[in-house]
Amino acid sequence: MAAHKEVVFGLYDDEVDLMNAVKKAKADHLEIMDVYSPFPVHGLDPILGLSESRLHIAGFVYGMLGTLTAFLGMTWIFTKDWPIVFGGKPYWSVPAFIPITFELTVLFASIGMVVSFYTVCGLGPGVTNPYLDNRITDDKFCIAFDQNDVSHGQAESFFQSTGASAVKTKTI
Amino acid sequence: MNQYTISGKQRIIFLAMIAIGVVSMAFTWMGDDELHTRFWTNFLHNSVFFTGIALMATFFIAVCITAWSGWHAVFKRIWEAFSMFLIPGFLLMMIIALCTYFDIHHLYHWTDTSLYDDPTSDNYDAILASKAGFLNKNWYLFGTLIIVGLWVFFAVKLRGLSVSEDADPGEDFKNHRTQRIYAAAFLPIAGFTSAAIIWQWIMSIDSHWYSTMFAWYTGASWFVSMIAMTIMVLIYLKGKGYYEQVTGEHIHDLGKFLFAFSIFWTYLWFSQFMLIWYANIGEETIYFRLRRDHYPVLFYGNLVMNFVLPFLILMRNDTKRKYGSVLFVAALVVFGHWWDFFQMIKPGALHTAHEVIGGHGDHGAEAAHHVMEFTSGFTLPGFLEIGTAIGFMGLFLFVIYGALGRAALVAKNDPYLEESLHHHV
Repeated sequence: MAAHKEVVFGLYDDEVDLMNAVKKAKADHLEIMDVYSPFPVHGLDPILGLSESRLHIAGFVYGMLGTLTAFLGMTWIFTKDWPIVFGGKPYWSVPAFIPITFELTVLFASIGMVVSFYTVCGLGPGVTNPYLDNRITDDKFCIAFDQNDVSHGQAESFFQSTGASAVKTKTI
Repeated sequence: MNQYTISGKQRIIFLAMIAIGVVSMAFTWMGDDELHTRFWTNFLHNSVFFTGIALMATFFIAVCITAWSGWHAVFKRIWEAFSMFLIPGFLLMMIIALCTYFDIHHLYHWTDTSLYDDPTSDNYDAILASKAGFLNKNWYLFGTLIIVGLWVFFAVKLRGLSVSEDADPGEDFKNHRTQRIYAAAFLPIAGFTSAAIIWQWIMSIDSHWYSTMFAWYTGASWFVSMIAMTIMVLIYLKGKGYYEQVTGEHIHDLGKFLFAFSIFWTYLWFSQFMLIWYANIGEETIYFRLRRDHYPVLFYGNLVMNFVLPFLILMRNDTKRKYGSVLFVAALVVFGHWWDFFQMIKPGALHTAHEVIGGHGDHGAEAAHHVMEFTSGFTLPGFLEIGTAIGFMGLFLFVIYGALGRAALVAKNDPYLEESLHHHV
């Protein structure tokens, strides 16, 4: 795991205050460690300057892998490995393959994306989840600074000027 | 700019389109066989297609009101304008129904009552006899009258309430509450009647064949075309400077509908095809066998235009938001579903025509077999089909832009307007 961080964070009561604070932090060139909110705040990503997730590209690749696995697998099984006539249809009956091809595409894409997501985020069994404040999952909106990037005094005055309801520090 | 006025130039363009349609139909009539099969199939094809778009717009207004959805409120006038095409659509379908009643055309095999009047006759057709309770001229005429009449009633009512809301800034949203009642009543009516009308207008062309998936499949075709038309009209009006409040967010949602319902259409198409293919019953497979073997461009082109291309192009997030890509897919899909209706109607109608012209029995079968070669206007849309479609499109646009001009573009006092203005996906 990464080294411990000294985090100073402010809690806001309202997502509008949060948005304005994030805009101010960007304008003041304060490096934000992270922003936490109980629900996805619309319009926050572009203000934070987060780039678009590439997970969907991985998902497409996994999906195509599933398509190929199912289609080529069934082709091999039903024409080479164990050809059986079903209902007078030809061995290579594409319409009959479509439902299974669809299912495996979905299965590969979903499992592949879940595994990729967990790997990228460092999630998995036995991971401890350092949280800053209980109420971030309830009704508070939080901006956190790493004290290596932003000094405590700087952060405090920033939180006061943007209307944070509480300022706290924690080592995670 | 909240008030649209149809400009003189636009009116000339729409009238020129209608003129192209009229000329194409006249040429079709002159170069036709003695039953005017090509003329009547083109007439039916385009009337059904555009009336269906109007129905689906009405249906979707009712869905949105009943679901308390708000994202569409800013441009709901476009769907209300689409729904106004039900009135000319009603007239067009009544022409077809009246001509069916008076035997002026022979689109439908079942209109020949000599086939099932007399059980002892050599020509006795047991299948048509068993369907005669539904497939008969009286029900075709009165069914069309009652059902499309009901649609017109609800379309006019829903639009009327929406327009009168503009002048009523009351806090109790009286008009919207009344709309909810009409919308909820219309949902089951639209659901059941659209299925029944699709059976009699389109599926009964292949009189002996039936499929329980057919109504849904055709309805999905109408729905996707409606969404695609909405996208095209919205982007056009935005280009003209109207609808500044409509943003990429609304287009994104419409793009998602276009993507999702293209897949839904494919799902229904495949469900219908797969079960019939798998069960392998001669009476059922003949429908697809005819189309696959003798109309391969129609058959496979349908899937490429309505599934493969929309699926691949609209899969990404950004292609649903960029006007260029979403406009391209919308145009493709409208053409693709027009093509879909073409392949539903033409092969069966051609078969019927040749049986009638060739007489019954072996001779008819021979004649029917004979035309399985390439025939412009039947195996593929020819210039006259395109011309007729342009004419109907001109009429459609003329009607909807006229309707748009008669009310404010962005509805005032809609309870969901604020939500729609701040819509974010």
